Amino acid sequence: MSEFLLLGARPPAPDEASLGGIARDVMAQTAWHWWLRRWGLLRSFGLPPDPAGELRACLVIRASGQPAAERLAADWGQVSGYRVTLVPLSCKAAGRGGTR
Amino acid sequence: MSEETEAALAAVFRGEWPRLVGAAMRITGDLQAAEDSVQETLLVALDRWPLQGVPDRPGAWLMTVCRNRARNLVRDSGRAQQRAESMRPLLAGQQRQGDDQPEIADDRLRLIAMCCHPLLSADAQVALTLRLVAGLTTEEIARGCHLPATAIAQRIVRAKRILKEHRVVFSAGDPDVRDRLRSILDVIYLVFNEGYLPAAGQTVTRGDLASEARRLACLLTELLPGEPEPQALRALLSFQLSRWPTRAGPDGALLTLDAQDRTQWDRDLIADGARALELARQGERGPLLIQAELAGCHATAPTFAATDWDAILARYDELLAIQDTPVVALNRAVAVAMAAGPAAALPLLDRLAEDPALRGSHRIWAVRADVHLRAGQTRAALADYDRALDLVTNEAERRYLSTARHQAEEDPMPAFRKSPPGLIARFDELAQLAGDADRKLMFGYPVCVLRGNMFMGLHQDSLILRLAEADRAEFLGRYDARLFEPMPGRPMKEYIVVPPALVDDDDAIGEWVRRSRTCAEQLPAKKPKKKG
Repeated sequence: MSEFLLLGARPPAPDEASLGGIARDVMAQTAWHWWLRRWGLLRSFGLPPDPAGELRACLVIRASGQPAAERLAADWGQVSGYRVTLVPLSCKAAGRGGTR
Repeated sequence: MSEETEAALAAVFRGEWPRLVGAAMRITGDLQAAEDSVQETLLVALDRWPLQGVPDRPGAWLMTVCRNRARNLVRDSGRAQQRAESMRPLLAGQQRQGDDQPEIADDRLRLIAMCCHPLLSADAQVALTLRLVAGLTTEEIARGCHLPATAIAQRIVRAKRILKEHRVVFSAGDPDVRDRLRSILDVIYLVFNEGYLPAAGQTVTRGDLASEARRLACLLTELLPGEPEPQALRALLSFQLSRWPTRAGPDGALLTLDAQDRTQWDRDLIADGARALELARQGERGPLLIQAELAGCHATAPTFAATDWDAILARYDELLAIQDTPVVALNRAVAVAMAAGPAAALPLLDRLAEDPALRGSHRIWAVRADVHLRAGQTRAALADYDRALDLVTNEAERRYLSTARHQAEEDPMPAFRKSPPGLIARFDELAQLAGDADRKLMFGYPVCVLRGNMFMGLHQDSLILRLAEADRAEFLGRYDARLFEPMPGRPMKEYIVVPPALVDDDDAIGEWVRRSRTCAEQLPAKKPKKKG
């Protein structure tokens, strides 16, 4: 298993938010993260202090390889609406240290 | 993740939305900036809650983030100087000394009062209330109102601009909520009506708007607990909404009160309506209270036949005395038809059909067609149905009218409804009291027959008994009852309709069932009809 960093950036905010839509999205994302944790694939996460910034969240995940990590990145993008950038953490030792 | 959890979360957002907009307004002094702050707050929740978990007090969390976002927005755009000037008139928080006008204590109420400002047209008030107080998106409002989203967006933008331009109007102080209450209630009622029976569109009902209106009415009762009129509106909307699931059939066609399955009516909403009605009665008897009482009469009648039309007519008389409008007069005419018979209502309807305000509406013609039909005047009914069909715009109503016209043309006999299962079960209990009589079906209704003579039976929602002349006179004198008249103008003189309360009265009904059987015993036996 290798570790990867997923960086999620939100595209420009929509003019209007639908309350029902946001509730649905929160539930969908919560479910997705819960499964990631359940499978032991979510090592850690980080949230920027300024919520207005473009970068909204980052995840450190475990995956069997680049293709699996890309699939997870695509899933996260779909469920969150973020533009997701995938960064491999190539050195295992450095990766573990860097996530803390 | 269940739909219930999602609905609970949506309820948190919906509940907090107007509070957040109000709080952000206090800080930014600008409607658009306030909305932007709330949107961003929701997006922050969307980022954080799935990873960190939903906070213990989600409302407080949202409020903190929203205030911070609003402050940042003001700071970033350098609006701090403008804010002091612009905020004071719009949402003044300080009570003026010696001013006996009530202060609007809650930001949500300020917001509703602002959305219902008399400067705005009724359409704009509705759109702005749905956007800022109910938190619906422009798309959702447009779907609800069957209008293009651009039209709704323009309404909202224009309304915001007007409010901004006329800031000076608010500078006299807080909006006087008691003066504004009338238009607030009107706006909520308009939203409800648009949802309950839209003027146009494919379906009878638009649940989102109607439910949203009731939610706003409930919010108003919480914000103004001492005011009876919001309670009356809450009662009215609760009673009306209780029938929601039964107002349309599976094919989307309109179902009238007599055809609705009352077991499906929402008992919680009816109970809520009854509670609100009690509180509303502490105030003056205004149009809303009377309408709520009317809706309550229907919502609490166990069967259509048990509807207290005399009470309904009395309330329409009262309503007409304080709100003499053609629509109220039309509804009263329906009550007259039900309480006193179609012949009494037709002269009223003929006069109303001359009213310029009603002539162009399909409703007067639809009502008169029905009453003509009940009076056995099929040709006149068909002509009225044709006029109604020319004018109706709602597709579901059109389908209903087309079907009704077709039935009237094909079969001038009224279509009889089946008896409800509960009444059939009660009939079977009572049939035990009648001894060894035969239980048969006549026109689909259960009846008891002795030596070929029918003496007890069901017809639609009613129990029918055959009584000897002396017993009949005693019965009609003792109870508020009538002769059985399956077709208008054609009574079956030996039979009476048992009042619903008596049907359930174990002590009293048994005696009348026995007398009915005795009546049949004294009749000559009928020979059975030969088959084939």
